[in-house]
Amino acid sequence: MIAARTTNHRRRVAAGLLGLIVLLSILAPLLTGTDPRDATTGAELVSPSWQHLFGTDLLGRDVYSRTLYGGRRTLGVALLTVGVTLLPGLITGLAAGYFGGWIDRALMILMDALLAFPALLLALALVALLGSGAIQIALAVGIAGIPAYARVTRAAVLEARTRMFIEAARAAGAGPAGILWRHVLPTIAPPLLAFAGVMLSWAILNSAALMFLGYGGDLSAPDWGVMLADGRAAFRTAPWVATAPGAALSLTVLAINLLAGSLDSRPGRE
Amino acid sequence: MIAYALQRFGAAILVAWLAVSLAFGVLRWLPGDALDATMARAGASDAEIAARRLALGLDDPVWQQYALYLADVLRGDLGESLVSGQPVSEMIAQNLGPTAALAGGALLVAVALGVGLGVLSGVGRPAGVRYAAEGIASLALSTPVYWTGTLAIYLFTTVLDVLPGVGGRGVRYLILPVCVLGFHTAGSIARVTAGSIRAAAAMDFIRTARAKGLPESDVLDHILRVGLLPVTAVVALQLGFLLGGTVITEMIFARRGLGKVLLAAIDTRDYPVIQGLVALSAVTYSLINALADVLYGLIDPRVRMDR
Repeated sequence: MIAARTTNHRRRVAAGLLGLIVLLSILAPLLTGTDPRDATTGAELVSPSWQHLFGTDLLGRDVYSRTLYGGRRTLGVALLTVGVTLLPGLITGLAAGYFGGWIDRALMILMDALLAFPALLLALALVALLGSGAIQIALAVGIAGIPAYARVTRAAVLEARTRMFIEAARAAGAGPAGILWRHVLPTIAPPLLAFAGVMLSWAILNSAALMFLGYGGDLSAPDWGVMLADGRAAFRTAPWVATAPGAALSLTVLAINLLAGSLDSRPGRE
Repeated sequence: MIAYALQRFGAAILVAWLAVSLAFGVLRWLPGDALDATMARAGASDAEIAARRLALGLDDPVWQQYALYLADVLRGDLGESLVSGQPVSEMIAQNLGPTAALAGGALLVAVALGVGLGVLSGVGRPAGVRYAAEGIASLALSTPVYWTGTLAIYLFTTVLDVLPGVGGRGVRYLILPVCVLGFHTAGSIARVTAGSIRAAAAMDFIRTARAKGLPESDVLDHILRVGLLPVTAVVALQLGFLLGGTVITEMIFARRGLGKVLLAAIDTRDYPVIQGLVALSAVTYSLINALADVLYGLIDPRVRMDR
């Protein structure tokens, strides 16, 4: 009882925090009149004040505005990354888990081979191939995430396949596509959703890592990863430049992790 | 047991072969013209490029290149850098030391911290201890290395002035990067340990142990013996995260190592170097995971029985 109440409370706090961060990012143009790319000469590394809530960076750009707009780009790239992971991962996992046999074995050995590459190294190698840019980063990190998602999907399908109503649907003559879509997918949705949350926080951290390393293409675009790289050099004299995006990044990932954790431990689920 | 070990290592070798083949397909065959671009940028003439292509066998049929590549890899020959002409295996050998020290040290910190936090957040008392341990583990999971690294350098070198910061080669220069990378790797280990400990604490034999009046310290011993078993597998799985993390850690702390070599190779599109490093990490990772599985099977016979 008490545990359930704590989980509920945590979920509400996490959802509120995440909602707030998303809202702040979406409403960025309403919340600041300063262009995040506007470099003001003579106003470099100004400490926080009423005019610049979070101060300014090395080029005199407003950190408050860059953090708000940075949320759009960082979260946007992360969502795109998860999109790249989800569809092929889901299809591979469903096919492997449902059909079994040699299809399963062939798909899983391919996934194992991909899984053998440390994810960030695979993403880096793909960036070398695809070139710099936000879309390229989403593709590279997204592809690196596919094998993990396929494996989790497959495990969930294998468990669902043993349920009586799926046996019954097959006995009643339903085709594989119908069974997968109407019966298997709704059954495995909760754990897959929880894992999609895990993938989202993973995507944020890794795509921001590639941004931090300078593979984002447009270097003046506001982005939490890029801002952390900008702020690193000046941290001793102007800690505010890195602190704002760093705190935003950590809070976002923390909120997503809490939400994903509470999704997985919903009452009635083992 | 020997059959299980052979089967597990056989699977690992198959996976490693596939991973090396993938690296060949994606990083050598697809960017086949990378050499031209790289050499042209370095100011080589068309004739020189053509001669180099011929020497590297880039105009041969793909299957022939692939067979040659596999034979080379088996002999430990990973090709040459397009930029410096240095053998890739030599570049790896020269830079392996600092990276292995960083990864090994971070792994030790991660296991000690991760298992400690995991046990505390699983069965710690009072509840405040559990929450604190959980909080630290959550923090490790939600802050990236490239953010805590900056904070740690500032805190320990500028504010407290107890440790040297970036650059350098001595052991003292290793402490901070090892702790930062270890802290992040500890997050997932702590999480899995906590879950496993909680599951063990809820088992029937623990209730029996309590019911028959065993002292709490003996009960804890029972819990840990069962709850800590799966941790070996998780630690091996975390090695992938660790290998990726060394790249960023080396960059932040301006350290020499394989990560630095990799980032330089990506900037110059030096595909043989990228390919060699990525293939090496995949082979290392799958073999170490096979080893961990076999060890796990040795200490917990139930794993073998499942097969």
